[in-house]
Amino acid sequence: MEKRFMKGCEAIAEAAVRGGCRFFAGYPITPQNEIPEYLSKRLPEVGGVFVQGESEVASINMVYGAAATGTRALTSSSGPGISLKAEGISYLASAQLPAVIVNISRGGPGLGSIQPAQSDYLQATKALGHGGFRAMVFAPATLQEAVDLTYNAWEYAERDRGPVLILMDGCLGAIMEEVELPEMKVLNYDNTEDWCLARVGGREDSHMITPILPELALEMLNKFKGMTYKMWEMADVKVEEYMLEDAEYVVVAYGIAARVAKEAINTLREEGFKVGMIRPITLYPFPKASLDNLDYNQVKGIIDIEMTVPAQMRDDIELQVKGRCPVHEYGRSGGILLDDEGVYGAISDIVKGGA
Amino acid sequence: MKKSFVFSGSGGQGIMSAGITLAHTAIDMGKHSTFLPEYGPEQRGGSAKCTVIISDGDIISPLPKKCDTLIAMNEQAYGKFIDDVKEGGTVVVNSSRVKDTDRQDVKTISVPVDDVALELGNVKVANTVLIGVLIGATDIVSKEAVIASLEEKFKEKSPEIMALNIAALEKGIALGKGTV
Repeated sequence: MEKRFMKGCEAIAEAAVRGGCRFFAGYPITPQNEIPEYLSKRLPEVGGVFVQGESEVASINMVYGAAATGTRALTSSSGPGISLKAEGISYLASAQLPAVIVNISRGGPGLGSIQPAQSDYLQATKALGHGGFRAMVFAPATLQEAVDLTYNAWEYAERDRGPVLILMDGCLGAIMEEVELPEMKVLNYDNTEDWCLARVGGREDSHMITPILPELALEMLNKFKGMTYKMWEMADVKVEEYMLEDAEYVVVAYGIAARVAKEAINTLREEGFKVGMIRPITLYPFPKASLDNLDYNQVKGIIDIEMTVPAQMRDDIELQVKGRCPVHEYGRSGGILLDDEGVYGAISDIVKGGA
Repeated sequence: MKKSFVFSGSGGQGIMSAGITLAHTAIDMGKHSTFLPEYGPEQRGGSAKCTVIISDGDIISPLPKKCDTLIAMNEQAYGKFIDDVKEGGTVVVNSSRVKDTDRQDVKTISVPVDDVALELGNVKVANTVLIGVLIGATDIVSKEAVIASLEEKFKEKSPEIMALNIAALEKGIALGKGTV
C-alpha cells in the first residue's frame, strides 16, 4: 500500500483511476475543480481519455457514450452542475449503463455558495433525475473511506448496471489527509460482454438507443429495478454504529458532520453521558435497520446533525423511529461550516436538558 | 497531544503554502495531520485561511471552533480570527502589517516577517520566516523535518531559492525563540 498526503478531490480522482476509470468528462465548478484538473494529467498516463465538455449536459452524455462501450466512466460536479446532469443521469439509468458520478456539494439552493455544505441529500437519495429511479449513494467521512468507496464504485455500477453517486461536501473535497492508495486494478471486460457495444454479437456497428419503450416493457424494467433496490437494502447497506449498546441519545450524521459529531460524542462520554451515533455510509440504501432496531425503552432521543438547514435526512430517520422517541436536529448552512463547539453545544443541550 | 493552527492573511502571502508545509512536515515525522483551506472566489488579494491540525492520534473532527495557535499575516486576518484563539493560546503576528494586538489572555509573538524577508532578499519567503518563528516558539515540528519538506517542495527550483528559504527558516527560528 502506498501512503500519500492528498487533497480530497485528488485522492478520489486517483482512486478512480486505480479502480479502472479510463474516461472522464466534466465541466468546471467550485469546489470540485481539482478532480478534472488532476485527471486531465493522470488519465492520459494510463491510456485513458479526459474531456472538458462544453457543458454539464454534454459531459454527462459523453459519459453515457463511454459507458456504452464498457469503459469505466466518471463525471464530477457540484450541486448546480449535478442538476444540469440530471437528464443524462436518468438516461443512464434507463439504458442500464454503469457510471460513477461525484458530487462535491456546496451551499444551495440555486447558485448558492461556493463554500461547503451538505445540501444535496434529497437530490442524491430521492431524485437524481426524473422518472423514479434510484442510484446507490456513498457518503464517505474520511479521505481513506472516500478512496476505498471510489475504488470499488464501478463494481456496484456494473453489477447492477446503473449510475452510482459519491456524495462529499466541499470540505472533504478540499481537505488534505494521509491516505493509503490501493493497487491499480487489472481490468477484464468479461462481465461487460452481454451488454456493451462492440461486444454484442461481435459486431462493430451496434447502437444503443433508449427509445420510447412499449408500456409493458417499461413496467417490466421498473419492476426489475424495484427488485434491485430491495436487494440493495438486504445486501449493500454500509453503516458505522458507534457506542450504541447503552446509548440514551443517538446522533445520526454522515460525512463531515459525522466527524464533528463523533468528537462531541467522545467529549460527552468522558463527562458520563450515554450518547452514540449511527453514521450512514450508504445514504441509499439507507440503514433503516440500525434505526428501527434501537431499543426505544432506552433511547430518549435521536439527534440529526447535518451541514444544511433544514435537515434533509430527517424524513428517512422519522420513518424508522415511527414516533417512538423525539427527533431533534441541528445544522449550519449557506457555506457556514459546522464546528466542534457548536455541535457539542447542540447535542449537550438536548442530552443535559433531558429533552 | 493535539494542536490546531490557523494561518490567515490574504491571497498571495503564502498562507496555504505555509500550512501545507507544516502539515506535510508533521506527517513526515510520523504524526497525523489535516490541512483544510478556506478561501473566497478571488484568485489574489481575497482573504485566505487554512486550518492545520497535528496530532499523535487519529484526527476525528477537522473543524475546531477555537485554535491553539493563530498566525495572522495582516490586520484584517487578525481582527477576523483573534477571538477564535483558545485562552492561553499563542498568536504569531506579522508586525510589518499588524500594528495593534489587544488580547491579553494569549501569548503574542510579534515578528515583522515581511521586513525580515525583504532584508533577506525576497518578500516571498515571509511565509518561511513565519514557519521558522512558529517552530522556534512551539517546537511543534523539527527544523530538520521542515528542511526536508522544503527540499521536496523546491526540488525543481534553483539552489539559490532553497538557500534563501533555509536562511529564512533559521532567521525565523531565532526570532521565535526570542534569541534575536
